[in-house]
Amino acid sequence: MGEFWSRILQNYPYVFALALFAIGIYTILTHSNLFKKVIGINIMEGSIYILFIAAGNVRGGVAPILDMTDTTLTYVHPLPQALMLTGIVVSVSVTALSLALIMKLYRFYGTVDAKEIMRIRTEVRANGARIS
Amino acid sequence: MANKVAIVLLVCIGMVVLLAISELPLYGSPDTPAQNYVAERYIQGALDDTGALNMVAAIVIDYRAYDTLIETTVLFTAIIAVFLVLKKGTEGKGEQK
Repeated sequence: MGEFWSRILQNYPYVFALALFAIGIYTILTHSNLFKKVIGINIMEGSIYILFIAAGNVRGGVAPILDMTDTTLTYVHPLPQALMLTGIVVSVSVTALSLALIMKLYRFYGTVDAKEIMRIRTEVRANGARIS
Repeated sequence: MANKVAIVLLVCIGMVVLLAISELPLYGSPDTPAQNYVAERYIQGALDDTGALNMVAAIVIDYRAYDTLIETTVLFTAIIAVFLVLKKGTEGKGEQK
């Protein structure tokens, strides 16, 4: 049990990533405001960046920019950082598209609350009216 | 109520992931499986292969250029979709069956 906790302590960046991921999922699950759901998705993406870049770290390593004057340097793994650049672009695309869809929903329903939108929809269905 | 269910669920999942974290290679140790010949190849060969001092730039623009190319397609598709969604003149049309 002691070894378990010491390993957890030494792997603290992964624990941070897990905590951020849990906070993101909790935000998505418990908030009905659509903007807050988007913020939760972005928090989850941030946790994935931390996980990847921490996995590529070496103790005592420097940023992977070649230093010609010093050949004894150890560099951190450059590949996770490059992959996370790709991930950031995807995350920006997802955020932009979801914000656009939320704007559209707001123009149509006059609210950004998911529960309110569901209520309006069920009322309209119950009255037998077509939304037009 | 829903908040408590979510918290209990997340704590259960978090415990399992903590078990996994305790089995991961130690943070920052140089002999993890992640620090294999791939990292060595990129660090040693980036300057000769691509002429870039910055290895991340070398990977993004040269080694994995197709990845970056398709990534711009992703961005382009997202921008087109945003413009389509926000197109003027479609407000109030409702559900078109």
